[in-house]
Amino acid sequence: MAAVSIASREQYNFDVVRQFTVMSLFWGVVGMLAGLYIAAELAWPLLNFDIPYITFGRLRPVHTSGVIFGFGGSALFATSYYIVQRTCQTRLISDALAKFTFWGWQAVIVLAAVSYMLGYSQGREYAEMEWPIDILIEVVWIAYMVVFIGTIMRRKQPHIYVANWFYLAFILATALLHTFNNLAVPVNLFSMKSYSLFAGSQDAMVQWWYGHNAVGFILTAGFLGMMYYFVPKQAGRPIYSYRLSIVHFWALTFLYMWVGTHHLHWTAVPDWTSTLAATFSIMLLLPSWGGMINGIMTLSGAWDKLRTDPIMRFLAVALSFYGMSTFEGPMMALKSVNALSHYTDWTIGHVHSGTLGWVAMITFGSFYHMIPKLWNTKLYSERLVYWHFWLATIGILLYIVAMWISGIGQGMMWRTFDDFGNLKYSFAETVAMVRPFYVMRAVGGLFFFSGVLIMVYNVFKTIRQGTQEAAELEAKYAAKLAQAGA
Amino acid sequence: MNFNFKHEWIETNVGLMLVITMIVISIGGLVEIVPLFLIKNTVEKVDGVRPYTPLESRGRDIYVREGCYLCHSQMIRPLVEEAARYGHYSLAAESQYDHPFQWGSKRTGPDLARVGKKYSNEWHVQHLLAPRSMVPESVMPNYPWLLTTPLDTSDLVDRMKAQRTVGVPYSLTDAEYQRNVKQFGAETAKWLHIPDAQANLLKQAQEGNYDGDRTNISEMDALVAYLQVLGTMVDFSKYDAEYLMKGRGTP
Amino acid sequence: MIEWLSNSGNVKALGLVIFFMIFVGIVLWVYGSKKRSQELESYKNIPFLDDDSETKEHKP
Repeated sequence: MAAVSIASREQYNFDVVRQFTVMSLFWGVVGMLAGLYIAAELAWPLLNFDIPYITFGRLRPVHTSGVIFGFGGSALFATSYYIVQRTCQTRLISDALAKFTFWGWQAVIVLAAVSYMLGYSQGREYAEMEWPIDILIEVVWIAYMVVFIGTIMRRKQPHIYVANWFYLAFILATALLHTFNNLAVPVNLFSMKSYSLFAGSQDAMVQWWYGHNAVGFILTAGFLGMMYYFVPKQAGRPIYSYRLSIVHFWALTFLYMWVGTHHLHWTAVPDWTSTLAATFSIMLLLPSWGGMINGIMTLSGAWDKLRTDPIMRFLAVALSFYGMSTFEGPMMALKSVNALSHYTDWTIGHVHSGTLGWVAMITFGSFYHMIPKLWNTKLYSERLVYWHFWLATIGILLYIVAMWISGIGQGMMWRTFDDFGNLKYSFAETVAMVRPFYVMRAVGGLFFFSGVLIMVYNVFKTIRQGTQEAAELEAKYAAKLAQAGA
Repeated sequence: MNFNFKHEWIETNVGLMLVITMIVISIGGLVEIVPLFLIKNTVEKVDGVRPYTPLESRGRDIYVREGCYLCHSQMIRPLVEEAARYGHYSLAAESQYDHPFQWGSKRTGPDLARVGKKYSNEWHVQHLLAPRSMVPESVMPNYPWLLTTPLDTSDLVDRMKAQRTVGVPYSLTDAEYQRNVKQFGAETAKWLHIPDAQANLLKQAQEGNYDGDRTNISEMDALVAYLQVLGTMVDFSKYDAEYLMKGRGTP
Repeated sequence: MIEWLSNSGNVKALGLVIFFMIFVGIVLWVYGSKKRSQELESYKNIPFLDDDSETKEHKP
């Protein structure tokens, strides 16, 4: 037994996978705590405490970067390194470079969070990091590309498994988006401040080309890579249709890049760009649902497991939310719907049904599957996984229902005229209307966050159990050796 | 169509896969973004839009620093209810010197694209210090430090030079100054001259007296100066609706 | 070309045509031949080829 485990340890580099997994959970806690806090700030503005570092405007990027790049990014690093090694049956090409991506990426998140609180921001949503951090990201990303592609190149399997295609597209697209969206001229070499190379409507186009494709390629394609490996593994049966996954991949990668401008409907960009984006957004429904159906059909052969296996529930709910938010998205990209939904909380709700419902749930499911394998043990408690599942699901529902009501309600109030042709509601009245739902949203966030804390505890105990077992095993082995020697 | 084509070539050759994926993901961006830099009427021609003065520009830096764009948009859409609430819809020209753009994506607070001159300086100062003292329903944070922090102008010239590098017509040489005189008029051109930046900033803060205290220049001075100029540069009585709609590409 | 592209009326049609041609091409290619289908579907087992550590679920 021990011999096998030592051999598998040599075969693959799981050290870096373990590190990224643990840090992903760490940043999950930090990022979601920041999210919970800013949700509470909106409900009770007193919580800003007149402290510049924690006001909503500075803490919000800490939340978004913390969860997207800290939690999601680290999870993608961890799972991509895990999957690429296991499906190519080869070790990562360079342990040193992999280690560099780990430390480099952690440095990026720390620097970003601290710099936001100190007031350094490019003023671009989801890309607030100032230029020195952007350069560090670029370097780390190139190292990541080398490790990932290099590992694929020395695979023992002739075919590259589809999960790796999605990771590959995610890595390439992120490099492209990051580079062009962050073109800027610094004030001077010793200043954190820079000015974007583009201005006005061109800048808006570049930023939302980035913004939406960060969703498309980081939060969708990357996590689909996760889905295509962990759903079959957990269900114990191969993916429903490999051919469908090929169609899914090419259609998704092609279509996503066109739709960013739906964030700019009715703004000062030329109409044709937003019409084009709306059209492609509708078409995007096809591959999105193709992928969802592929995942659901894989699970459907193992419905009986759904009752007994809490991890399967995470995966099933993740796929359901993926289907829901990829339906809601194209609908909100219609210009008429967008006229109502844009600028309101509906958008915030939509994002969170995607990020909490899809991204976080698929990650939790994958982690619960992967962590026992990484530490060579069993999960500490399945009961706690159930608790996590229910807290997370209830939390998401509270969150998105609150945002639907406040978003649609506010959108309607903004456009209501009275009998004399004047606006019926002042802006302040609409703010008063949404306040209770901000409280409800914060409560939903609290539910979700408590679930994560339970997971962290469960994972901590699992890891401890794994290390203890390994130590015991080694002691036994040593004793046997001594006996044999005597 | 060549039916001998084998997907295996792509699947088994990571280099080929990289290239094809790269092409596929590039098409969308190229088709949508590149034309914007080429088509002339992306930004409509209107008079009055000028780069920010040194003080306004520093105010804008503070606007970006505090993350105001996360709750306030600066983009009025051509919808009846927005015209009634905020005024004329925003033109591309109005943000042509905005590096970065601050159109925003969320209105937790109202749109600010035309907030300039709607309220007095005193109102803004009081509202930034304690929003709920002016608007009881507000959920905006207080920004008391803006009034107590002196405005840092040590790298003012570098900031303007950097903006000049990315295309804002601030003048550094005499030739550029003359060009600005031609384009914006002599009065405005003076404000855009980088060698006079410090003096201009001082002058505007003194004359404008934005934070109600002439003895020093605070961050509040700069931010209020910026807010007060938003959306005030174009005289809409000079243009008819049809002319402006052309900028959006609607015939 | 760009003039034609920038006309909002043409763009919808163009987008649809491009997308549809590529989409039909991919679908034809993927589902077109029985032999190819079998070959492609055989790849779905790759995640299960590497199962040495799976055995460790029954622990000592």
